[in-house]
Amino acid sequence: MCLAIPAKLIELKGDQGVVDLHSTRLPVNTLLIPEAKIGDWLLVHAGFAIQRIDSRAAAQTWAALRDLAEAAEESPPAGAKDRPDAAPRVTGETP
Amino acid sequence: MTRDEKETASILHRLRSSAAACPRTLAFMEVCGTHTMSAFRCGLASVLPKNVRLISGPGCPVCVTAQGEIDRMIELARRPEVTLCTYGDMVRVPGRRGSLEAARREGARVQIVYSSLDAVARARAEPARRVVFAAVGFETTAPATAAALLAARRLDLANFTVLASHKRIIPAMRALLQGAPRSGLGLDGFLCPGHVSVIIGQQAYEPLVREFNVACVIGGFEPVQILRALADLVDLARDHRAALINQYPEAVTPEGNQAARKLLDTVFQAGPARWRGLGEIAQSGMIIRESFARFDARRVFQLSEQAEREPASCLCGKVISGLALPPDCKLFGRGCTPISPIGPCMVSSEGTCAAWFKYGPRDAGGAPERHTLQEASA
Ligand code: SF4
Repeated sequence: MCLAIPAKLIELKGDQGVVDLHSTRLPVNTLLIPEAKIGDWLLVHAGFAIQRIDSRAAAQTWAALRDLAEAAEESPPAGAKDRPDAAPRVTGETP
Repeated sequence: MTRDEKETASILHRLRSSAAACPRTLAFMEVCGTHTMSAFRCGLASVLPKNVRLISGPGCPVCVTAQGEIDRMIELARRPEVTLCTYGDMVRVPGRRGSLEAARREGARVQIVYSSLDAVARARAEPARRVVFAAVGFETTAPATAAALLAARRLDLANFTVLASHKRIIPAMRALLQGAPRSGLGLDGFLCPGHVSVIIGQQAYEPLVREFNVACVIGGFEPVQILRALADLVDLARDHRAALINQYPEAVTPEGNQAARKLLDTVFQAGPARWRGLGEIAQSGMIIRESFARFDARRVFQLSEQAEREPASCLCGKVISGLALPPDCKLFGRGCTPISPIGPCMVSSEGTCAAWFKYGPRDAGGAPERHTLQEASA
């Protein structure tokens, strides 16, 4: 249902940041994680960071979610073609 | 054997021996659509003992959205002055007359967004259009909508509104349990959703466990994490114990994300909401507060709240209440497929019907075709 993707925070200005998601740069809002700082691993959901996690947990979650994303990808979900190119396929789903 | 395989094998061993000590069939509901998908994907059912059953719950936000809500989104999108922004999966869900996708083909402005803030940005960029953000989702997603409402107020946007269909998961779980004596839903515990719990926190489940004497285990999304949570559920069932266990502590804290909860409370108040299949559930909705009324599409466009009937032949409502399996539906795989879905459970990539269509047993009672979960234990 509510998939959140782990990604690393690489830029931050106020509550507007950028995460690196396996070499894709993605905007992120850190309003919900006020303590976020550059270098943190964040769970990102629909453009918002919802949790800080350690890098080990991030790697584990990533592996599981990649499999799911591939599963979803096999039959292109609704509106796949309309997705913003910068967004990875998993996060374009209905969260 | 890798460390992961060893761990999987030992959890599976624990699960099987606990299940063997139970004289009856145990049924656990995976509340979350992502759990459904993950369990199917790794062939979980094929390694579970015969007396452990997984049933799907009301945790796919697209699937639980009532027919009337979908119709209202389409109705709004068809207005010439409106640009309707929403998340990807919603556009193909059939309403009474067509889908958002169909409306778009006929000229309606329907825009898929990645974030609620993209909808706000669009409203700023196109002051002549009335931008409506149609928002679905549980507690994980609702804070993003709340943030968009705050931004709209800060920017004093006159052309931005939100059609909020956000839902709270605990009241739905409660409704299922309350209805169980009548519906015949037999449940031995819940596999609780990981990322919803990140926001609401572990403690949110305590009242359920206490009042209904039902086991709740929060799990992550990796196969081994799901398996670990299931093993705990089977242990609890064997010991006739109802308890709350957090098997996803790396992301879920006892009190959840406080900033997100505070934000939700600023913007929304709990109120009744209509769920597909479950009907109206008290306190299960997130109603936009009076102080944000000018950004509430329901108030601004004076949308009616009639209860529309759901397509009679589609069993989605029963599927998401754990009362039917997709193959029980006459349309499953015949009239209804992911290419031409009839109900939302087939549209959403996390819907139970979609998961069954892709990974489920081809003949009722047969073994799922794929199992990649490490079947390492003896
Ligand atoms: S198979 Fe299609 S019509 Fe039947 S319950 Fe599932 S979504 Fe509804």
